Amino acid sequence: MKSLQLIKPYLLENRGVILSGILCLTIVDILQLFIPRIIKWAVDDLTTLHIDVTGLLGYASYIISIAVAMALFRYVWRRCLIGTSRRVEEGLRNQLFRHIQTLSAPYFDRVKTGELMAHATNDIQHVRMASGMGMVALTDAVVLGVAAIGFMAYINTTLTLFVLIPMPLIVFSTRFFTRKMHRLYQDVQASFAGMTEVVREAIAGIRTIKAYTREQNETARLESASRDYVNRNLGLVRITGSFFPMMMLFSNISLAIILYLGGRQTITATISTGDFVAFISYLGILTWPMMAMGWVVNLIQRGTASLDRINRILETRREIDDPPGVLVQDSAGGDLDFHDVSFSYDPASPPVLDGITLSIKQGETLGIVGPPGSGKTALLRLIPRVYDVSGGMILLGGVDIRRMNLRDLRSRIAFVPQEPFLFAGSIRDNITFGNSDITDEELNRAINDAQISETVASFPHGTETIVGEKGVILSGGQKQRIALARAIVQQKPLIIFDDPVSQVDSETGGALIRSMKSLEGSPTTIIVSHRLSAVQTADMIIVLDGGHIVESGTHETLMKTGGYYARTFRLQALEEYPHGR
Amino acid sequence: MVDNSPYFEEEQLDRSYDLRLLQWLYPLTKPYRLLLSCSIVLVIVITVFDLALPYITKIAIDRYIVPKMETTVVSAGTAGDGETRYLKVDMTEDLNGDIVRRYSRLFTYDGSYALIRFDDLSNLDKKDILVLRRGDLAGVTVITLLFLALIGANFVFNFGQVMIMEYTGQMIMHDLRIRLFDHIQGMAVAFFTRNPVGRLVTRVTNDTQNMNELVTSVIAFIFKDVFLLAGITVVLIIINWQLTAITFAILPLVVYAAIHFAVKARDIYRTLRVKIADINTRFSETIGGITVIQLFRQEEENYHRFEELNHEYYQAGMRQIHVYAVFMPIIELLGAAATALVIFYGGGRVLGQTISLGALVAFIAYMRMFFRPLRDIAEKYNITQNALASAERIYQIINNKEREPRAVDEPGLPEKIDDIVMDNVSFSYVTGETVLANVSLHIHQGETVAFVGPTGSGKTTLINLLTRFYEPQSGRILVNGQDIRTVDIAGLRSKIALVTQDPFLFSGTIRDNIVNGSNHISDADLDRIISASNCRSLIDKLPKGVDTELAEGGASVSSGERQLISIARAFARDPDLILLDEATSYIDSETEQKVQAALAKLMSNRTSIIVAHRLSTARTADRIFVLNRHRIIESGTHRELMEQKGFYFRLHQLQQ
Repeated sequence: MKSLQLIKPYLLENRGVILSGILCLTIVDILQLFIPRIIKWAVDDLTTLHIDVTGLLGYASYIISIAVAMALFRYVWRRCLIGTSRRVEEGLRNQLFRHIQTLSAPYFDRVKTGELMAHATNDIQHVRMASGMGMVALTDAVVLGVAAIGFMAYINTTLTLFVLIPMPLIVFSTRFFTRKMHRLYQDVQASFAGMTEVVREAIAGIRTIKAYTREQNETARLESASRDYVNRNLGLVRITGSFFPMMMLFSNISLAIILYLGGRQTITATISTGDFVAFISYLGILTWPMMAMGWVVNLIQRGTASLDRINRILETRREIDDPPGVLVQDSAGGDLDFHDVSFSYDPASPPVLDGITLSIKQGETLGIVGPPGSGKTALLRLIPRVYDVSGGMILLGGVDIRRMNLRDLRSRIAFVPQEPFLFAGSIRDNITFGNSDITDEELNRAINDAQISETVASFPHGTETIVGEKGVILSGGQKQRIALARAIVQQKPLIIFDDPVSQVDSETGGALIRSMKSLEGSPTTIIVSHRLSAVQTADMIIVLDGGHIVESGTHETLMKTGGYYARTFRLQALEEYPHGR
Repeated sequence: MVDNSPYFEEEQLDRSYDLRLLQWLYPLTKPYRLLLSCSIVLVIVITVFDLALPYITKIAIDRYIVPKMETTVVSAGTAGDGETRYLKVDMTEDLNGDIVRRYSRLFTYDGSYALIRFDDLSNLDKKDILVLRRGDLAGVTVITLLFLALIGANFVFNFGQVMIMEYTGQMIMHDLRIRLFDHIQGMAVAFFTRNPVGRLVTRVTNDTQNMNELVTSVIAFIFKDVFLLAGITVVLIIINWQLTAITFAILPLVVYAAIHFAVKARDIYRTLRVKIADINTRFSETIGGITVIQLFRQEEENYHRFEELNHEYYQAGMRQIHVYAVFMPIIELLGAAATALVIFYGGGRVLGQTISLGALVAFIAYMRMFFRPLRDIAEKYNITQNALASAERIYQIINNKEREPRAVDEPGLPEKIDDIVMDNVSFSYVTGETVLANVSLHIHQGETVAFVGPTGSGKTTLINLLTRFYEPQSGRILVNGQDIRTVDIAGLRSKIALVTQDPFLFSGTIRDNIVNGSNHISDADLDRIISASNCRSLIDKLPKGVDTELAEGGASVSSGERQLISIARAFARDPDLILLDEATSYIDSETEQKVQAALAKLMSNRTSIIVAHRLSTARTADRIFVLNRHRIIESGTHRELMEQKGFYFRLHQLQQ
């Protein structure tokens, strides 16, 4: 029930609209009750034959005028109530999207994209259905139910009580069934999300699947996921499929009671024939609320199950957030210090980084090299707090970065990840993120610096070329350079390159390294690279292995030490610098 | 979005599609026809039952509760009020006789029968009425029991019908889902570069789900509703055909409204579907690029773009509400108008004694029943539209001819890959933008060959052609002298191992990823492969070792480690030809050397092709092909090329 708090703001915000909707709906329901009344009068008059054609015309025109009024009010409540549910849907989806964006990297390591997508569409639609048609049906059921019972009681109290005999049964079975349904709906949704993930993964990895002729494996995986989904649905339908007919059965039992007892009373002239007929009509009206209860309960169950799932996401606190208490405002300088930093992605596994202590002065360059899995990328990720340190601390300008405002911290850093991620928009959008403060001149300079100008110029639409999902129309090296341009154009005081030249040829790589060294405003620079030419001129170079700093110093000192760095350098120099320096 | 690329935008389809759609959908039901027929029979039975219920009520009223006019006889002895109803009492029965005699002034006599006005019945003692009308009471009891039996049976049938229908629908959709998925997997690679993942996922999951609704609710309801309508019409005509004819005068209006509604609702449904697929895509992209978004603090901008899209979806939703809000009340209004007509004309008939009161009551009840299925059909039309829109999208994919060529009659490659020839191959992804022009080369078995050259010179494309991800526009590629177009595609690929720059690891354990479904790899083999590919240290540091589950996209291991795992996967495949496309770009030179040494050992008898930017990677190759501007411009060993002092030599020089 706590998750209902989620939609409360939308309901409050639209309370005027909702109230007018409910008012109109109530008016419609009440007007609706007059029609059997009119029919009853007409039938009564016809039974005793105390009516003429004019009288009948009168009754007919009452019905028509009531129907016209009903049509108008119906339009209004539909707009108001169902409209609000669309509003709720839109708002919830925005909220979910906004929230997901604030969650930090560790969350996405745990949660699957396909499942999140299922929440964004399916679950939210269920909430909409529950808060729209569900609410309408509920109001309808209550108003019509109470009014129909009222009218019936007015005609004959005893008979009304008899008609209500199945009511406890309805309440009891509804409670019983809804509990089951809730769980089953959760199962169905979870299974759907699982299936979505299987499909998503297969399509995302289609090249690998094709190259490794894994198609049949993937089909088999989907086959079993899909079968699970089918079975869960059937399990659910076993409940819903018996629930609705059962509600109908109960309301028909009421009809049987009227037929028997009401029939007897009519025969014994205790109630008039007209009353009897009207009773049956009212019961017809009551049938709908009785059945609707089942449907409403079903919709609402499904809606709350979905709402719970959405709420669970929204309640996820981001692991990396602004600290409580006073934040350190603008810290003085750009010096970066690692103080005995250790880190692991998962507390259960051994640390990825251990006892890292180093410091870089503002405007200096740090080069990092080391074999795969030595912790290079992890170290870089700690600086903009993609992940937080597990032990020790990182100081920027003498202040622990965890004591700084997260946005401020990130606004001082430009980051080029190892595997560039491009968005489906244009090249310009991908570089500037639509920031209109960036002039064309700045954009072009960044494109030049990133050595991508030739490629961009070769596209008929230049910077306006749409790159497609994840930049599908570009090669790996092109994507990487666009990501570089994106970082360069920001002109941040601290710039971090994670293996920036891994996907480009030597010539382009060389040019890139030159532009990285001559960036505007001479930012503090951290470069991870397997091409030592990229780090060779750095003020300090560290070699990471197994999460430890195993060597550190300048190019000259490291060459003298004759360790990993020197070995690798010679290995590369052998080929890339055939004539020495 | 500027429409300047071959990339996406879903087109709208015209209406002529519907028929073809049905033609395509129908065969899907084939394995389930028996079940479907069962379900339809049940629907008919249920409909008959539904129709019988008000009719039973009518019988109860007409026969027992308010006996029909025919039993009333105008008697000479009364005041001549010929329009009064009478109860006829059989005087030959003793019980009746006593009572009639007690209230003799209320009765008139007609042979052995006594008649009493219904209005006067209330003057009798209740017990006496019970006696006089014991026959009617017994009748009511019987009818009630019949009624109970019917609703009981109705419950059972309803449940059975829903279960059968759901099973059928779910199974049909399961089949369709698998078929669609299979089909998508069989599409050429180019197809995937144009269709975002989110969209294809939507097709396989959400869209098939929508179509399931078509089967379960729509088919069931439409059958039910149509039967109900037909049944009600028949009953109405039986009760009174003149009255039926008059009330049906309203129908043309209903049909007009329904058609108008249908057209509008359809367009809106399409828009809604496209928008929801876009929303899915946006979610998927945002989650995929979340780190970049956060590091560049693009949350707000990205959110606003999403908000806009979401709002468009909302607006389409509101248009839909408007259409429904107009249509639904109109149908209700027309229904009420029909009732009014029945009261007016039918009432007149009752007055004129051409219709019984019971008949009129039943007529009203049926008339009101008549409009429910009508509204239902219109309402279900929305699900139908939704489902058809989904069916259309699925059909579009299934009908897409961009398939990868299927197995050909050719037996494939029986033997190992001995040599590979590219003969004058030209290729472009987009017409007019040449990527490869007249490339010819010959690679022998056991050779290690490297492709080097500037970015965009076509190195990866060569690999794409060898794996038949794409087909050359001209020229031939021959393996063992056989054009690969005549070879079974799966057979060819099963002899090749491809390692790409951004390897895709599947969710599952590292072991699963390496052995990749083949179970003939022993633990000892696996161990050797792990060592050879330098995965040992990365696996040792994981708590569960080789059985560690990888998170989505392999995020829990670094890029370099992922490359190592994918290299292990390639080794495990035991291929004739290994293609390394920038496979060691995230790996340091030292580790790379070790991997290459292992590779050389493993591949001693086989062929390998290496694409590399780092010249150190290419150096040890038996032959190096230098690509520039879509062509091979130099080839030879490292030493030969250095001596030539050509492009390759300059590539080295340029480093300084």
